[in-house]
Amino acid sequence: MSLGTDVESSDALVTGDASTRELVSGGLVALSFASFAVGLLALFQYLPADTPVAGTTVSTLLGGVLTLVGAGTVALGAASYGDLLETSPGHTGGLASAAFVGLLWFGVGGLVAAQTLGLSLLWPVVALAVGGVAAAVALVAREDLGITLSAGLFVLLSGLVVLTGAVGPGWQWDPSTLSIVVTGLVGVPVIALFAGLIGAWTTARVYGGFGAQGRQTGAYVLVGTNAAGMLALLASVVGFIAVRGFAPMTEGIKYGLFWGPWTWFNPPLVDTWVVVEGPILWFYWPFVMEGYSTTGGGIDGILPAIVGTFWLVVGAVLFAVPLGVGAAVFLTEYAEQGRFTFLVEISTNGLWSTPSIVYGLFGLAFLVPRLGNTNSILAGQLVLGFMLLPLVVITARESLKSVPDEYRDASAALGVSKWETIKSVVLPASLPGVITGIILGIGRIAGETAPILLVTTSSPFPSEVAGVIEGGFRFTSAFPFVAVPDINLVQSSSALPYQLFAVIGAGLGENIDFAWGTALVLLLVVMSFYAVGVTSRVYFRRKLNQ
Amino acid sequence: MSETHATGTDEQTVPDTETDTDPAARTTAGETSERTREEWVEYAFEGEAKLAVEDLNVHYGDDHALKDVSIDIPRESVTALIGPSGCGKSTFLRCLNRMNDRISGARVDGSVELDGEEIYQDDVDLVELRKRVGMVFQAPNPFPKSIRDNISYGPRKHGEINTGLVARLLGRDDQDQEDELVRRSLEKAALWDEVSDRLDDNALGLSGGQQQRLCIARCLAVDPEVILMDEPASALDPIATSKIEDLIEELAEDYTVVVVTHNMQQAARISDQTAVFLTGGELVEYDDTGKIFENPESQRVEDYITGKFG
Repeated sequence: MSLGTDVESSDALVTGDASTRELVSGGLVALSFASFAVGLLALFQYLPADTPVAGTTVSTLLGGVLTLVGAGTVALGAASYGDLLETSPGHTGGLASAAFVGLLWFGVGGLVAAQTLGLSLLWPVVALAVGGVAAAVALVAREDLGITLSAGLFVLLSGLVVLTGAVGPGWQWDPSTLSIVVTGLVGVPVIALFAGLIGAWTTARVYGGFGAQGRQTGAYVLVGTNAAGMLALLASVVGFIAVRGFAPMTEGIKYGLFWGPWTWFNPPLVDTWVVVEGPILWFYWPFVMEGYSTTGGGIDGILPAIVGTFWLVVGAVLFAVPLGVGAAVFLTEYAEQGRFTFLVEISTNGLWSTPSIVYGLFGLAFLVPRLGNTNSILAGQLVLGFMLLPLVVITARESLKSVPDEYRDASAALGVSKWETIKSVVLPASLPGVITGIILGIGRIAGETAPILLVTTSSPFPSEVAGVIEGGFRFTSAFPFVAVPDINLVQSSSALPYQLFAVIGAGLGENIDFAWGTALVLLLVVMSFYAVGVTSRVYFRRKLNQ
Repeated sequence: MSETHATGTDEQTVPDTETDTDPAARTTAGETSERTREEWVEYAFEGEAKLAVEDLNVHYGDDHALKDVSIDIPRESVTALIGPSGCGKSTFLRCLNRMNDRISGARVDGSVELDGEEIYQDDVDLVELRKRVGMVFQAPNPFPKSIRDNISYGPRKHGEINTGLVARLLGRDDQDQEDELVRRSLEKAALWDEVSDRLDDNALGLSGGQQQRLCIARCLAVDPEVILMDEPASALDPIATSKIEDLIEELAEDYTVVVVTHNMQQAARISDQTAVFLTGGELVEYDDTGKIFENPESQRVEDYITGKFG
C-alpha cells in the first residue's frame, strides 16, 4: 500500500528521478505477479476466491490489487507523458503491441456488449469499435501514453469489476449460447491471471523506461511469467494427484530394524516376490506389495498391475529397440538417400501418430488368435513394441544423422570398414539421442490403456501376480547345476493404466482412494523409467565429452 | 636483406622477387606461355616416384572438377598443392587414397600408381590402400574417445592389437604393444610430452592444435607410407600452425607427405616441390618450391603467387 502513496506523492515524481520510476513500476510488477500467482492458486482451489482474509475475501483483495496496478500504470504513463519521469518512449507503441491490446479490448467490448448490454447481433460491431479504438490509441499515441492507457485501463477495469463485486465469488454466468456455467470461483481467478499478466507486461515496460529497453523488459517479464505459470500448472496437475494419492498409497507401511512382527511376511504372495525378510531390515508396503483383496480384509494393493506394467515395458523395449535402431542404421548409413528413405520417413511419422486403439485392434484380431488364443502379456508386449518402433526409428535416424561426417571420414581414411566404423564410432556417438527417443517412447507406452485393455487384461481386480518367471533361478545337483526358470508370457495380466481405468469403470464411490493411489504409483513408475533413461543418457554423453 | 627474408617472412620475399624479375621475367613468362602445359608440369627428380598420376579426371555430376592432371610425386619429401579455393587441389588429394569413392556422384578417370601399382582397379583392397596412404583433414576430427583409444583405433580395427575382455580371457592381451604404439605415435607427432599423463582423458578436451597433432599421431599409428594432409593448419592459431609445420618437415624424413594449403607462405616454408592448381581444375605448374616462388614459368602462376589473381 505504501507503493500507492509513492505514486500519488508528487514530490517524488517531480524530481524525475529514474529510480523512483523503477521503484514504483517494480512494485507494480511485483503486485501483478502476485495477482497472477494468487489467481493460479485460486483456480486450482488451493486458495478459493471466497476464502476470508483479514476481514475481506481473496476476491476483493485481488480486485484491489488489480485496481491499484491499473491506476498506477495509467498514472505512470501520464507522468511519463508529462515529462515528469525520465523515460525514452518511442513515437508509437508498435504494431504487435497495438494488435495485442486491440484484441484484448475486442474481447472486452464483445463480452460487455453481448452479455451485459444484451446486444444480440450488434455485439461484433461494438467489439470491433472498442478494439479498433484501443489499437489506434496504442498505435497513434506516443508509446508511454498509448500502451499504458490501453493496457492500464484494461487492468483497472478488471480490478474494478472484481473489487466492486460485479464479478465476485457468488457471481454466476450462464451464457445461453454456450452450455457451460461459469461461477465466480473460476471467473475471478481467470480475471486475476489474465489481468495480472497484462499488468506485469505493461508495468515492466514502464520499468525499462519504454523504448527498446522497455520492450525488452516487457517481453522478459511476459515470457517469464508465462513460463512460471506453465510450470505451476504442471506442478498443480502432479500435485493434485500426489496430494490425493499419497495417503492411500502409503497406508499401512511398516518398517523396522532387527525386530518386528514377523507374521507380516507370511503371505506367500509377498514371499515369492519381494525379498524383504531378514534379520537386519524389514519393510512392508501393502499397497505395492499386495494384490487386490478379494476377501475384503486388509489393504487392497496393486502389485499385479505393477508387475504387469514392468513386463510389458521391458518386453516392448527389448522388441522395438534392436529392430528400430537396426532399421535406422540401414536407412541412414547404407540406403541411398532418396525417394525410398523419404517414403519410409513419412510412413514412420504416420505410424507414430496412429491412435493406440488401432494398434490394439490389430493385436486383438491378429496376434491374440495366433498366440494361444488368449489375452496375454506377450501380445501386449508386441503391440506396445509396434507402437514404440516408429519413434525409435525416427529418433535414432535423427541422432545418427547428427553424428558429424568427419568421424566417418576419419575412420574410413584409417582403412576401417563401414560396419566397424558404425559399430565403434557412429553408434556410440549417437547413443544419447537414441536413448532420448526410447525415454520418450517409454513414457507413452507405459501409460497406454487401450491396447492393453484389448490384448492383455482379463480380471479388472487381480489378486494374484502373473507368474511370468516360474520357479526362479536355483542350483541343482544335476548338470548344468542351474535350473533356468520357465518364462511364461502367454497369460493375462493387469497393468497400471488399465487398473486405474477398471477402478474408475467400477464406480469411484468406494474406490476413490484406491484410484488416486494407483494414479500416483503409475506416475512414479513412469518417472522411474524416465530416471533410468535420463541417467544412462547423462552417463553416455559425459563419456563422449569428457 | 633479401637473404633474411627468403628464409624468414616469405610474405616480403615475393614482392622482392617480383621487382627482381620485372620486367625481364614478365616478358620471359609471356614467351613461355606459348609452350604447352605438359612441358610446364614435367618435373624431373632423382629416384622413382612414390605416386605416379596420369591423366586424372574427376567429375562431380556435370562438374568437371579436375582436368587431365599428370604428376609424379617423389618419395620421402613434402609436396605442396596450392591454388585458389575451388581449384580442385583437395579433390586431387582425395583421389590419392580413393576417399572420393565415398562421395556419391563422383567419377574418377585416369591412373594413380602407388609404387608402380595401379590403385584404380577393381580388385584394390581399400583397407590396405588407406593403411598405406593415410590422411589428415582440415578440421581436427578426433573421435569422442580417450586419447589412447584414438591412437589404437586403427591398429585395433585391423586386428593388429587385441585388448579388452575377450582378448584378456583368451590370453592374447596386447596391452604392452598398445602402450608402446601409443607412445611411439604420440612422440612422432610431437604430442607425447603434453599428454603422456592423461592418455585416458577424452580427446575432445585437447586444444585445436593438440587435436590436430593427435589426428596425425592416429594416422601414423597404422604405419602409412604416404600422408595426405588437407589444409592441416588452416583452422589453427599461428603457434599451433608452426608446430604442425615443424612436424611436417620432420615427417618428410620417413614419409611421403602431400599437403594441400591455400597459404603460399606455408607452402614456401615447408615443401620441397610445389604444384599449382588454378581455377578450373588444371595443374598449371609443378616444380621445385624455390623455382615456383622465385621464377615461375607461367604468367598465371606468377600472377597468383604475387597476389594479382586468386
